Amino acid sequence: MRILELLEERSGIASAWRNFADRPWPGGPAVRHSLFAVVIYLFLQQAILGVLLSMYYSPSSSDAWASTAYLVDTVELGWFIRGLHDHGASAFILAAVAYLTSLVVFSGYRRPRELVWVAALGVLALGLAEGMTGNPLPWDETGYWAIQVELGIAEQTPGGSIIKQLVQGGSQAGNFTLTRLFVLHAFVLPAVLGALLLFIAKQRNRVGVGSAPPRGRTGTYAPGQLVLDMAAMTIAAGSLIAATISSHGTELMAPADPTSGFQARPEWYFLFLYKLRMYFEGPNEAIATMVIPGLAGGFLVAIPVMEAVAGRLGRVLALLGYSSLLAGAAVLTNVALRDDRGDESYQKALKEANVQAERARRLAKEGVMPEGGPAVFWNDPEFKVKQLYIEHCRNCHELDGFGGGEAPALTDYSSREWLSAVIRNPSDDRFFGKTKHTDMDAYGPDKIDAEKLAATVEFLASLTDDMGADAALAATGEKLWDDELECSTCHEIEAGKASDAPNLYRHGTLAWVERVIRDSSQPDLFGKAAQMPKFTDKLSDEEITSLAKFVVARRSPAAADDS
Amino acid sequence: MADAPSKFDEGSPTDSPSSTRRGILGATAAALGAGLAATVLGPAVIFVAHPLRHETTSGSDDFIPAGPPSLFTTTTPIKVDLFADRVDAWNRVVQVKVGSAWVMEKGGKLVALSTVCPHLGCGVDYDTSHNKFYCACHKTWFGLDGSVEEGPSPRAMDELEVESAEKLVSIRFRRFKLGVKTKEPIG
Repeated sequence: MRILELLEERSGIASAWRNFADRPWPGGPAVRHSLFAVVIYLFLQQAILGVLLSMYYSPSSSDAWASTAYLVDTVELGWFIRGLHDHGASAFILAAVAYLTSLVVFSGYRRPRELVWVAALGVLALGLAEGMTGNPLPWDETGYWAIQVELGIAEQTPGGSIIKQLVQGGSQAGNFTLTRLFVLHAFVLPAVLGALLLFIAKQRNRVGVGSAPPRGRTGTYAPGQLVLDMAAMTIAAGSLIAATISSHGTELMAPADPTSGFQARPEWYFLFLYKLRMYFEGPNEAIATMVIPGLAGGFLVAIPVMEAVAGRLGRVLALLGYSSLLAGAAVLTNVALRDDRGDESYQKALKEANVQAERARRLAKEGVMPEGGPAVFWNDPEFKVKQLYIEHCRNCHELDGFGGGEAPALTDYSSREWLSAVIRNPSDDRFFGKTKHTDMDAYGPDKIDAEKLAATVEFLASLTDDMGADAALAATGEKLWDDELECSTCHEIEAGKASDAPNLYRHGTLAWVERVIRDSSQPDLFGKAAQMPKFTDKLSDEEITSLAKFVVARRSPAAADDS
Repeated sequence: MADAPSKFDEGSPTDSPSSTRRGILGATAAALGAGLAATVLGPAVIFVAHPLRHETTSGSDDFIPAGPPSLFTTTTPIKVDLFADRVDAWNRVVQVKVGSAWVMEKGGKLVALSTVCPHLGCGVDYDTSHNKFYCACHKTWFGLDGSVEEGPSPRAMDELEVESAEKLVSIRFRRFKLGVKTKEPIG
């Protein structure tokens, strides 16, 4: 106790607590007074969870999705923290509405508490704005499309295009959209929200919590109301945790893809506006997006005034108006949910989106390339083969301008252009110059003119099954091959036959490339002089096939048309 | 409020029935508050401590190709940048610079010294006029063999494993604990 006294003397902390706990509480403890405590609790919890999430989240268009996926799927309890934050947002909105409702029912907006009422409306509005700025942060399909639509609606208001550009940080969504949304969501809005909550709390201390007449006894806040408040907070926290665990966190859809046909739906607390808009087509759209919400907002702000001006009638109007607004929103939300449940095309799209999300998150576990977002799909096998190529082939074989110099270039491998160039100068560094296969003569223009060269190459193409050769030209080539050029002295063209030089039957086809990768020293390929490592034991069959496909598929398709 | 400080002594033998009730309610409130705090703070600690229990970055532990042997034929150190795949939290980066090494020939063998100063991790440079290595941050001079000649570095420059094949020299890049006498690999 001595420590507490020392601390009290230097900080006043104990008397601050006593002032808080022993402040007068007219009317005694009541459950309805705990609604505000729940709002405060949720605000603080959201703030703490938000800080925690920021520890792993990166607000940039390339990193936002990948960092969220990492946070949810890799970081210990990341799914729980994010789930709690997401469900906490819903809970905050519910709690704010419940608090507002209690103010309406118990006339908590009456003089001198008009500003408390307006501030409470502000709390709900800011809660919704927090949702609006927070949901896009993961930059997944849901979040991206939600902010696109919301900014689109904002743009239709007078001066809205400026607001859109300011929030978006430019004319298109990008890095600045996320930095700005993040700043709004994590700093600006919470600061204002905190100030409003503080204002309400101060007013509650100053003028009391409600206008219900004190039932003759004035107790203190603690312990009665304090215990009720703590119990209410515990119930709120318990249901949040239960919701988070039973839903295993919250969804994260596939990374934002501006070209996808994602069927965007807003969060549940905006569904009523989404549905309302559907009843007003074309030029009337503004009625749903601005006029009705504007009127409703105006009405809510005016509730204290109505009663002051019109007395009992005002009170009746306030009760009627407020309850019909609530009921209207509830009905519209229900209709929206029911319509979506019955909408087959939406359900199908939703299923596909979920499959895509699952795939993206599975691929993200290997790490997302720095390009971020949709680049997660590069982790697919198709992209992997490129990595395989870089690892095993690029040191010797050039491809698309990278690597090589030690063995034949594989850019446009075995295309007509490639074959022509080999015949012209096989010992060029682009081909076999750095290898031991330098026996073949160069066939310069003096030995074989361009026409004959084209015919010879066409003949080689006709030996494949994938190059679609011109039969007449190939026939000319075949004659040159056997008679004039005497290629057949060294090169066999019958399947499986060994000779001094590689057998060129189906040269450059998938099967041929696969065999070379496995073991290029076979007698009908490059024989004993082959220097290329044998990959038959180093790589799996699957990897060899994928590499061969990779090389063959990159042969430029236009090659069949030139020559 | 005059007797307010005695509030700290609630639960003392002088309890009246009403202060017992207050005490029970107060304890209930405190217990609920502690429970509430624990539901968020407990998971929060595990969440924040994730990097203590899991590797969040990883480079290549394999030998990294540094270039053909023809590059390294002199006894003058040559700086090579080593590129490898790297995982950095949610990112996987292909062929990014993970480190550099000074490579030179010594007695017919290639020697590679990490450019990371063992003192506090600055980049060690080669000073051509003195033919020595020099870390400009805290002014440590290292001999060509990496030994400390002058300055605060607690140990010699860290030697890296070199693998010389016919066509390719590879180096295994590692990082070592800074500021200690012994060379302990990290990560």
